[in-house]
Amino acid sequence: MEDRLMLLDNILYIGSGILFTLQLLFGGISLGLLLAIVMTILRYSSKCASYIITGYISIFRGTPVILQLSLFYFALPQIIGLNLEILTAGILTFGLNSAAYLAEILRSGINSLPKGQFEAAQTLRIPLFKTWKDVILPQAIRNSLPSLTGEMIALLKETALISTIGGLDIMRKSQGIAAEHFTYFTPLLIAGAYYYAMVLLIEFIGKKIEKNNANY
Amino acid sequence: MLTIDKLHKTFNNHTILNGIDLKVPSGSILGLAGPSGSGKSTLLRIIQGLDSIDQGTITCKGTVCFMFQDFQLFPHMNVMQNIIYAPSIRNPGHDYKKEAQKLLAKLGIDSKADSFPSKLSGGQKQRVALARSLIMKPDLLLCDEPTSGLDVATIDEVVELLKSVCGNNMSMIIASHDLDFLTKIADRIIVLKEGNIAADIEPSKSKNPISQLKEYY
Repeated sequence: MEDRLMLLDNILYIGSGILFTLQLLFGGISLGLLLAIVMTILRYSSKCASYIITGYISIFRGTPVILQLSLFYFALPQIIGLNLEILTAGILTFGLNSAAYLAEILRSGINSLPKGQFEAAQTLRIPLFKTWKDVILPQAIRNSLPSLTGEMIALLKETALISTIGGLDIMRKSQGIAAEHFTYFTPLLIAGAYYYAMVLLIEFIGKKIEKNNANY
Repeated sequence: MLTIDKLHKTFNNHTILNGIDLKVPSGSILGLAGPSGSGKSTLLRIIQGLDSIDQGTITCKGTVCFMFQDFQLFPHMNVMQNIIYAPSIRNPGHDYKKEAQKLLAKLGIDSKADSFPSKLSGGQKQRVALARSLIMKPDLLLCDEPTSGLDVATIDEVVELLKSVCGNNMSMIIASHDLDFLTKIADRIIVLKEGNIAADIEPSKSKNPISQLKEYY
């Protein structure tokens, strides 16, 4: 009986890290998507911007996320004296990192559109901003939905790295229980079950959105 | 309506248009014929401003619209949205729905207003593309291969359709491989060959315009 109660306590305690994990996930993906859209538009608008953005993408995809996170949390205060909260550092890191992947996903979504879509908008004298907002991006995002779902799942799993700088997410809380009771299997299994359940939920919603957008 | 003077266009050191001079009066239909690669589509794209020129001048009075060979409807918008989206941006206070509905009725596809382009046949898509151009009230309508992929019966309908919308001072330039179609619809046909105007005929004044045109292929 006591064991069962303890298990339930552990499940609830580890589950209390979900909010932190979700804050990182939604903060990161929102920032990432916003930056990716801006980068994608700039990339197609100016050659100079395209070189800079290609370099940005190369660096953020070519270095470990844990290194980027450490730079934001540990190195930034030393360089410019800016002390970030763990959550802020996490959202910034995951957002900037995710932006690099999302920009590439959007680029492939745009490349899959016929070149004539831009030209059709031009011949109808649709302003550039509206062309992107109402003509190009809705189609590109729709074409990229499976990859966008994949990136969101990847980001969710990456948020576990916040535990390395002390963020009280699902992973950190399971590690805390593990350290307290000197038993690893059960807490890690509980954490894994939470992550897997969230991944299944994201997959379900992603497929639902894909289905709803399959009418054209 | 449109005056083209000594138009030159090269692409990768290959001359596409070599000093084209052309005048298109208001309310007329000009046919552009010629072998593949003769510069028909390039000339249309240049007039629309989609491609740049190397030399020469183009003077066009009024607005120009372009009908693409593959229509380029916006697949995520239904027929009505495709038609009213662009004019509604320029004139947000105006309700274009009634106007669009009238155009669709005139083109015989008023029942398709809520359909998405993927659910339409080639002929229906073309009509939507035409309605999308006409609602912009162009002075010059450029059509690139409007009959490609259409069956014979539909091509005849297209002839009637384009003739019915031309007039009211709207001019058309139609690039096509289909000489039969061009002779039925155009007031005048020019044949482009190796970047030059190889022939300039008026089908109504020729006994056998198709064979006359074929000599230049």
